Amino acid sequence: MKDDLLLRWILRSYTALVFLFVFAPIVASLVFSFNSDRFPTIPLGSFTTGWYVKAFSNPEVWDAALRSLVVSSVTAILSTAIGFSAAYTDYRYNFTGKTAFVVLALLPPTIPLIIFALAMLGWLSMFNASGMTVSIIIAHTVLCAPFAMAVIRLRLNQMDPNLEPAAWNLGASEWVTMKSVVIPFTLPSIIASLCLTAAVSFDEFAVAWFVSGLNKTIPVVILEILTGNIDPQVNAIGTAVFLVSITLVVIAQMLVMGRAKKPETT
Amino acid sequence: MTSREATKSDHYAIAWRLPLIVWQGLFFVGPLLFMVAMSFFLVKNYRMEAASQFTNWSRLLSKDFFWDAYFFTLFLAILATIITSVVAFPASYFLAFKASDGARRWAIFFLIIPFFTSYLVRIFAWQVILAQQGVINAGLSFLGLGPWQMLNTQFGTIVGYLVLCLPLAVILQTFSLASIDKRLVEAAHNLGCGRLRTVFTVVVPLAKTGLVVAAVFCFILCFGDFVSPYYLGGSKPPTLSILIIDTSKSGQQWPRAAVVAITMIVTLLAVALAAIGFAYKKRST
Amino acid sequence: MPKIMKPTRRDVLKYGAAATTALCTPFVSRAWAETVEINMLAWYGHGEPDVVGEFEAANNVKFKPKYYAGGDNMMALIAQSPPGTYDVILSDAEFVQQLNAAGYIDELNPADYPFDDMLYDDFKKFPGHWKDGKLYSVMLRFGHLGVSYNTPAVSEEEAMSYKAFWKPELKGKVGHFDWHLPNLGQMSLYNGNGAKLWDQDEAGWKKIQETTMSLRPQVGGFFDYGGTFNGLKNNEMMAMAGIGDWITGVLERDGAPVKSVVPKEGGIQFTESYSIGKGTSKADIAKKFIQYMMSPDGQVHSARMLAYPAFCVTKGGRAKLNEVDPKEAQRTGQVDGMPNDPITLIKDGRIHYRNTPQQQSLEDWNEFWQEYKNAS
Repeated sequence: MKDDLLLRWILRSYTALVFLFVFAPIVASLVFSFNSDRFPTIPLGSFTTGWYVKAFSNPEVWDAALRSLVVSSVTAILSTAIGFSAAYTDYRYNFTGKTAFVVLALLPPTIPLIIFALAMLGWLSMFNASGMTVSIIIAHTVLCAPFAMAVIRLRLNQMDPNLEPAAWNLGASEWVTMKSVVIPFTLPSIIASLCLTAAVSFDEFAVAWFVSGLNKTIPVVILEILTGNIDPQVNAIGTAVFLVSITLVVIAQMLVMGRAKKPETT
Repeated sequence: MTSREATKSDHYAIAWRLPLIVWQGLFFVGPLLFMVAMSFFLVKNYRMEAASQFTNWSRLLSKDFFWDAYFFTLFLAILATIITSVVAFPASYFLAFKASDGARRWAIFFLIIPFFTSYLVRIFAWQVILAQQGVINAGLSFLGLGPWQMLNTQFGTIVGYLVLCLPLAVILQTFSLASIDKRLVEAAHNLGCGRLRTVFTVVVPLAKTGLVVAAVFCFILCFGDFVSPYYLGGSKPPTLSILIIDTSKSGQQWPRAAVVAITMIVTLLAVALAAIGFAYKKRST
Repeated sequence: MPKIMKPTRRDVLKYGAAATTALCTPFVSRAWAETVEINMLAWYGHGEPDVVGEFEAANNVKFKPKYYAGGDNMMALIAQSPPGTYDVILSDAEFVQQLNAAGYIDELNPADYPFDDMLYDDFKKFPGHWKDGKLYSVMLRFGHLGVSYNTPAVSEEEAMSYKAFWKPELKGKVGHFDWHLPNLGQMSLYNGNGAKLWDQDEAGWKKIQETTMSLRPQVGGFFDYGGTFNGLKNNEMMAMAGIGDWITGVLERDGAPVKSVVPKEGGIQFTESYSIGKGTSKADIAKKFIQYMMSPDGQVHSARMLAYPAFCVTKGGRAKLNEVDPKEAQRTGQVDGMPNDPITLIKDGRIHYRNTPQQQSLEDWNEFWQEYKNAS
């Protein structure tokens, strides 16, 4: 038993180290965002909120923030709609080619972003459709739809397969059943998917960088500051972006968790 | 299921099937197929012209630097996958078997957080941590050691890959370990199997599928990442993803970048299929 | 699955609304201001407020910059955008010819720009800027590339030759700015090619490749713009090839012990010029902007650009710089009669304008650069 305690203690410390590794950069960037040095080195300079002031007074950053907001909201809606239809199809139907359908639905995340970015750039340029905000939305929707599908599919798993037939037996059409039974049941997962896909889109930089042209999103601005004039603004922007993303994730989590437990009680 | 289908309209079914097929067809399959076509195009005066020439393929595949980059990238991604899996395992083991349910939930929640901080910003922070005058070397010099060259080395790249993959690896490994029937582990103990032996002869085989899936994801992420090898590895030598960026940026050589991309996809597919085949093979016997 | 702290829904709404309002206020007021947007294609920094801020405010316009690194990168960006996308284009002088050949830029009226005030005759008729007696581009600024080094690690004497890059102590500490042209140009100079550095036959090109390859063991990394800064600043790199004061000048301002010199084998001049994009609907304001940048005020803004400094091209600009920022003028030698006056260096034949390879294609150079990067 003593042996067990020692082992547990070692494993616990080890796990703590892993977490330290994971969180070190997040904490470091928070610290650097308040550090006066332009090229942060040790020892640190003095405390400043100047980088935040600089970032927030930069119209380019606001411009990008607005674009990120538009891109991520539209992406969230589109990819959730597509993800929902795919999840529902997978839940309800068996048909020839279904395997291909599911593979098509889940494949995008396995293609490295940089490759997808190149392919998308080539494809969109052919139609003179690259370099626009819409180009980013199109690409991000492709990337986010699988996540939406996964989240909604999980929720559909919890739905009683007899629920829909019951409604039909009561005379409701399929569309009415969808509207009054399926959608209300999956609503928490739909909202969770909206938040999740918005967050994924809000953070994506590789594809956005390739297809955005002059229309930069926040992560592209960060990338350009990193490749351009290294500037701790990125830490300030990064911290702000983190707050936005994490808020979306927490909302998504609360909705999924909050409702997931309910079926037991209702 | 089938009985339900029979009674219901086709329009409805098709309506739910179409959005994904249309969208992913147009904007996922389309671009990828176009990229294959693009690899046979030619570039003249910085403009791409449709053609069906093998020039790009023959020119690139005959270059030593391409194959050097190819094997280097493959080597680095495999190395990173192994390191990530090994580093993640004890933590996942702890979370799955030794931590309370509550602690595990919190841990997973915290591991999700990094996904929503900008990867770029995290890598930038690591640059400062690893630099010659960075946090680690400052600590080392306090102990009278160092400074060690960590930035712009392969070590730096591997650290970046860990930043990218470790949280995901721990999450996936923990899920697969937690789903093991604990009675099997106890049985092994009761039969006098040592702890370490239990891990390798009982736990790992039982969780094999999940562990392999986690590793495959690591491999995919590392193989395609350009940020770590560039910003932490000093692009020395460049990986395939950096080659794609370089090639597509300089002189509009998208067709040649497409050649690199296609070889990457083929490699990824081969590795993923082999790994998944391996993961499911022994389970049935 | 994780469980989370549970703020009540009301809390979330309340704080969320407050935060949203706070965040959006400055942004909304900006969005409604009616301004003309000017699309600029340039090296990093040219569209930043420290350079264009005054012009923006005075003319109620806003610059929307797209930044590139390297002339081939610039050409690719234009080629992949619809015609008329970019209103003003800042390009490296050696690429103006290609821009013009591809029909990407408009003809300019020489009377609009202060050619009489240029510091040096070459600048009036810069190669490639005129074609068949027509003007296509105006030289804005220039800078010199040589050996950039960390002053404690390398002495100025050593730095006076490209040989410094091969110094044994610098093993793994020599960085490259990741663009083939300036780097290979420097290698060509080190080979003693002097004024013929871009004009090398097969044997000369082979020798440039050999020289370059022999430097490979010394190399600690290949960097973009930001990486170059960081590498020199945090002592990762002790010497840097392919750059000059345009990078070390920024770091010096920041207090880092770095410097650039033009070595005895000669240095390379980068030259940046403005053109007006063909098909733009904003040619008038674009012209006005270029005129502004060529005025003494604009020249000073360009010379002191935060992203990277460069030299003034007009006498008026130089005079104004000496008046506004004598320290910077001194530091960079932009004072008439100083021994390291960039104009003097050019006149003495120590400086060679950066150019594209004459006997090989850019692609050959680029491909060799890839090979070099992948070598070990």
